[in-house]
Amino acid sequence: MTDLRDLVGDVDPEELERLQRVHTLLEQAGPPPSLSADMARPPARSAEVIRFPRRYRPFAAVAAVAAAAVLFAVGYVVGNNGPGAEFTVAMSGAGGASGTLEVYEMDGAGNWPMQLRVAGLADGRYALWLTRNGRLAEPCGTFAVVSGVTRVPLNAPYKLRAFDGWVVVPSGSRQPVLTT
Amino acid sequence: MDTAISVRLDLPRAPRATSIPEVRADSRTDAELIGLVADGDHRAFEELHRRYARPVLGIALRRIGDRGRAEDATQDTFASLWRSAGRFDPTRGKATSWLFTVARNAIIDGLRRRPEATVESPPDLAEPGPGPDDAAESEWVAWRVHRALETLPDDERTLVELAYWSGLSQSEIADRLDLPLGTVKTRTRSALSRLADELGDELR
Repeated sequence: MTDLRDLVGDVDPEELERLQRVHTLLEQAGPPPSLSADMARPPARSAEVIRFPRRYRPFAAVAAVAAAAVLFAVGYVVGNNGPGAEFTVAMSGAGGASGTLEVYEMDGAGNWPMQLRVAGLADGRYALWLTRNGRLAEPCGTFAVVSGVTRVPLNAPYKLRAFDGWVVVPSGSRQPVLTT
Repeated sequence: MDTAISVRLDLPRAPRATSIPEVRADSRTDAELIGLVADGDHRAFEELHRRYARPVLGIALRRIGDRGRAEDATQDTFASLWRSAGRFDPTRGKATSWLFTVARNAIIDGLRRRPEATVESPPDLAEPGPGPDDAAESEWVAWRVHRALETLPDDERTLVELAYWSGLSQSEIADRLDLPLGTVKTRTRSALSRLADELGDELR
């Protein structure tokens, strides 16, 4: 939990009380999701949503995977970095759960050191996975959550460009609770 | 956050001083914009998208869990908004409540149409999270707060997002943005004050 006085400095008690309510709402709401490049523009305004006929769906899936890989690569290059991080990935899930994955410079052996911060997950053990084509592809480590918030170092010894996202799943489960 | 900045760049350019001043779409209320959308105004539609894309995607992610399907549901929501704007009656409720309903219905319709999951199964919303009433309340709070964030100037919104959800301390934020610590605190206070004004109904 962030302390409001640390954020705003000295303010009079009445104003502090007003800001405290906003502070509480912000913590309840959790982070808004970031928009991918595709989502930054509205859909074709007067058109109905176009759906691929079933026979074209494999091609559409391939195109979608390619687009996701490109977005992932773009995020890798221009991501919103924390201090010292190569790039940062925002994650979100049901019920306001959220996560921030800071990925640091790869070492000579091909390891990507990472720091994962999660909030809003139920207490328990979880695993971070890289995904490819909508499936769990490679594990990046497990961690425990107690009292809702956890910050933990992890590692991804993989070529990240080969994947299209990250998910957090409860240990032993394949149901994501956080996705990129 | 970088994407949000690029969205801002899509806004219509401010008129030059020598030109006749025009009413910018973003000076209008949500209700006025919905009325314009009902008349087929594309710029009003784009402005509503700028204001509500993240809140809608936020709800979709809460309900669906999977990012790809949530993005589909968000696009469905704006397609639905374009079609149904003419049915909005400002005498019967606030625009943000009507938009919330449009979003929720479009997301539910999308789930019915496309029940298959792209990453295994969607997470179970009922457990171990809050019950339905709490979940609905939480959804509404997130909707209002995320919408209110879009009213902030870019520099203040960035500060709020860093302060609350990046895990950085104020000193680290100051270093990162190359600002004096006092300026970071002043701008954060200003941002929270604006949010308090915007969220007046939620604070009572």
